[in-house]
Amino acid sequence: MSVSKDDLRDLYAGRLGWDKTKAIISGPKDDDRFETAVEVLQEQVSWPERILMPLREHLYVVESGGERVVKCDCGHEFGDWRRNWKLSALIIARDDEASLEEIYPGLRRPDPALCEVREFICPGCGSLLDVESVPVGCPIVFDALPDLDTFYAEWLGRPLQGVRRCEDLTHEITSRWGQAEL
Amino acid sequence: MAATNGSGGAQIVACDAGGTMTDVIVVDRDGSFAIGKAATTPGDQAAGFCEALDEALGTPGGSPASLAAIEACVYSGTSMLNALLTGTGRRVGVITRRGEEDIFLHQRSRQSWAGYGHADVLHHVAHHRPDPLVPRRLVKGVEGRIDMFGVEAIPLYEHDVRTAVAELLDDGVEAIAVCLMYSYMNPSHEQRVAEIAAEVIAEAGDPPVTLHLSHELAPIIREHGRLNTVVLHAAAAEPSRAQLLRIEAALHGRDYPHPLQVLLSHGGVADIRYQRLHESTFSGPIGGLLGARYLSSVTGVDNWVCADMGGTSFDVGLIMAGEPMIDREVTVTRRIFNLPTLVMDTVGAGMGMFVSVDPLTGRITLGPESAGADPGPVSYGRGNDTPTVMDCALICGLLNPRNYLGGKVVLDVDRALKALREQCADRLRIDAHDLAEGVLELVASSMREHIRTVLSTRGFSAADYDLLAYGGAGPLLMAAYTSGLPFRGVVTVPWAAGFSAFGAAAVDLSHRYQKSTGIIVPDGADDGWKAAMGTMVNAGWDELEARASEDLRAEGLSWDDATVVPIAYVRYGGQLEDLEVASPVRRIDSAADMDALTDAFEDLYRRIYAQVATHRQAGFQIFDLGLTVTIPKVKPHLVRRDVEGPAPPPEAVLGTRDVYHGGRRQPATIYDMDALRPGNRISGIAVVEAPATTMFVPPDHHVRVDEWSMLWLTAGDQT
Ligand SMILES: [Zn+2]
Repeated sequence: MSVSKDDLRDLYAGRLGWDKTKAIISGPKDDDRFETAVEVLQEQVSWPERILMPLREHLYVVESGGERVVKCDCGHEFGDWRRNWKLSALIIARDDEASLEEIYPGLRRPDPALCEVREFICPGCGSLLDVESVPVGCPIVFDALPDLDTFYAEWLGRPLQGVRRCEDLTHEITSRWGQAEL
Repeated sequence: MAATNGSGGAQIVACDAGGTMTDVIVVDRDGSFAIGKAATTPGDQAAGFCEALDEALGTPGGSPASLAAIEACVYSGTSMLNALLTGTGRRVGVITRRGEEDIFLHQRSRQSWAGYGHADVLHHVAHHRPDPLVPRRLVKGVEGRIDMFGVEAIPLYEHDVRTAVAELLDDGVEAIAVCLMYSYMNPSHEQRVAEIAAEVIAEAGDPPVTLHLSHELAPIIREHGRLNTVVLHAAAAEPSRAQLLRIEAALHGRDYPHPLQVLLSHGGVADIRYQRLHESTFSGPIGGLLGARYLSSVTGVDNWVCADMGGTSFDVGLIMAGEPMIDREVTVTRRIFNLPTLVMDTVGAGMGMFVSVDPLTGRITLGPESAGADPGPVSYGRGNDTPTVMDCALICGLLNPRNYLGGKVVLDVDRALKALREQCADRLRIDAHDLAEGVLELVASSMREHIRTVLSTRGFSAADYDLLAYGGAGPLLMAAYTSGLPFRGVVTVPWAAGFSAFGAAAVDLSHRYQKSTGIIVPDGADDGWKAAMGTMVNAGWDELEARASEDLRAEGLSWDDATVVPIAYVRYGGQLEDLEVASPVRRIDSAADMDALTDAFEDLYRRIYAQVATHRQAGFQIFDLGLTVTIPKVKPHLVRRDVEGPAPPPEAVLGTRDVYHGGRRQPATIYDMDALRPGNRISGIAVVEAPATTMFVPPDHHVRVDEWSMLWLTAGDQT
């Protein structure tokens, strides 16, 4: 079963009926699903940079000026994809009763001694990009670091230009924390 | 297509109307029978029924034979289910308790994956609640509450009822289903709703709106399944009854002198005027179990694994000690119904399943979709070009292209081969014949695993069972899917294709009644407590008996002819599952009677589990009571024939044909199943052909025809 481009477009837009959606969930992926999906997404963004991989709603890893950066569909860039983009986002930390109460009123409110909720906002467009609910003091979660070179070379069979080592470079940001400029 | 045309004259007619085909079996007085098949005609089921009947009677297109001598005619089919699913049933409004109006949206979590394959059950993202049976707008809540002991906790707000009924009438409903909490403990609120509704309907000028109450139709614990059942009844039972009355009228027009009967999903049979006609909804697949139960009573083989292979699914059920297992809840079309139903475990493995290559893994994938009867497999040449399992069997030479369904369809082998080669074999770079053989083994292995699962998850062993293969496609793969399983015996029958219809012909007239209650007998309870609980049990049984005798009277039957068995569903305190216990006493009039009942439970428990599993320290609980009434009905007379010599008569040998097996072409002997005689033995490699079914006998396998014309398959040296 090959999923058509129109169906993928409807899927992203939340318009695809459940029968077709279920068939996509339960079925094997077509050989060209990734390419078709990227084509659909590329048509929908307003900027010209090539999408290498969709990360989540609004966010993509794109090729920009010879670098691979995380980019919001509004155009805002978060920097190298190996650094956790969340650290470059605006953050609402709900870590006390009052702020938690705003979204979890009454008995639904968790105990701020145990848990905090962090909302990550795009500085370019104000979209809510992600929410994490974690124990107090937990480092900001790096959800996924895709190994782009391996994926393109070994799965898609068309290697990307200029191999980058796939390693977590978030420490490049955190190591500057506590230094004078902050 | 006459299987064996006897001379005794037709006695019983039974029909299994599936979604695509209607099978009719006509059983003669001397035990011979004939099968007729026709396309199901959903608009007017009488048409398809009569066409299949005429074929079975051997009078297709000719002057219709008189049915004056027929003694019983039993119908089973899926029309009611289809009416519900396709929304062609009646428009139903629902009255439930206040706060429960969203029940069709909330459902039960189990329904979000009901009917899914294993992979989808595990993947939460695939879970999805089926569409509400009744739109939210047509569900009205009324205040009022009966508690779990049957005591009124909040009185019924009668003005709520008036408003609800008036709104539903304004919305044009044709039926109102009423389901209130704990109505099976105390129906007074539901009864009062019915009274008020009748008044409001009368005030509105008596539109033709019917009322259906849950405590009458399904007085069983758990609101959701109970409500689904009442809605099923309200939406589909009466339209379905109209269809059945039409069939009956057609039969009466040909001098059939008795009422038409309908098979119920718990294995009983009732007049089509039976109140709870919705119990016939899921009777399609269970006919085979009843046929096997009947074979038990005739042949003395009392433990069967019943394996039904059809176009889309492989259904497996058990007969233990001569009786099938029964569930009080059934999941069909992704919905849960409180309907006692014989247990069959289904897996998607049918002859119509599509064969394809997974683009990601490069592995062969079977299904999950099937070709159905129309357009059917590639070899039908009717527009489907995706190869199916059936095409693979044809490519391997197991099926005769010119003798399929009695020659009704001429199969195009080249077309099937081309499709399999181009879409699958070439992608895998293997020979198309090897692939076809591999596909059959793949299907057989999933069937084998299914049988293994059905047995092992219940703690049973194949060594205690005989396997009965039926369904048109069953005998084809029976050697393959039973391979390695230590069954006592493996058998099929010449009428395998019509076995489900045969089963419908082979049952007594019987009804089953059910009612929830709340009986608790703690360990060490004194005699006074046990007797008091006994009074509650008796009250339940009295109520069910009253209902049963009323039903029998309505059907013109005598209570004196009925065998009545009171049933209790007993569990140890705190358990989630219970066992159906046929009560050793008709009523519980003393502490000793209660002990007799709980002792019977423990005996059964010990037989199913083990001595060490018993735990009477937890006390006993009974949350459901039941009752069966049975009246003997004329049944097929299976004839024991004289055993003849091992050599088949010359007319049974049709010639040879190359089949592809074990990675090479081999000449197989072709036999005519209907011409084989009791006592005959044949050895593989062979194909035994009948008009509606084909049996494959691999090398080193042997078939013996016994005195009942049943075909026993053995592997290896023993014959
Ligand atoms: Zn943005």
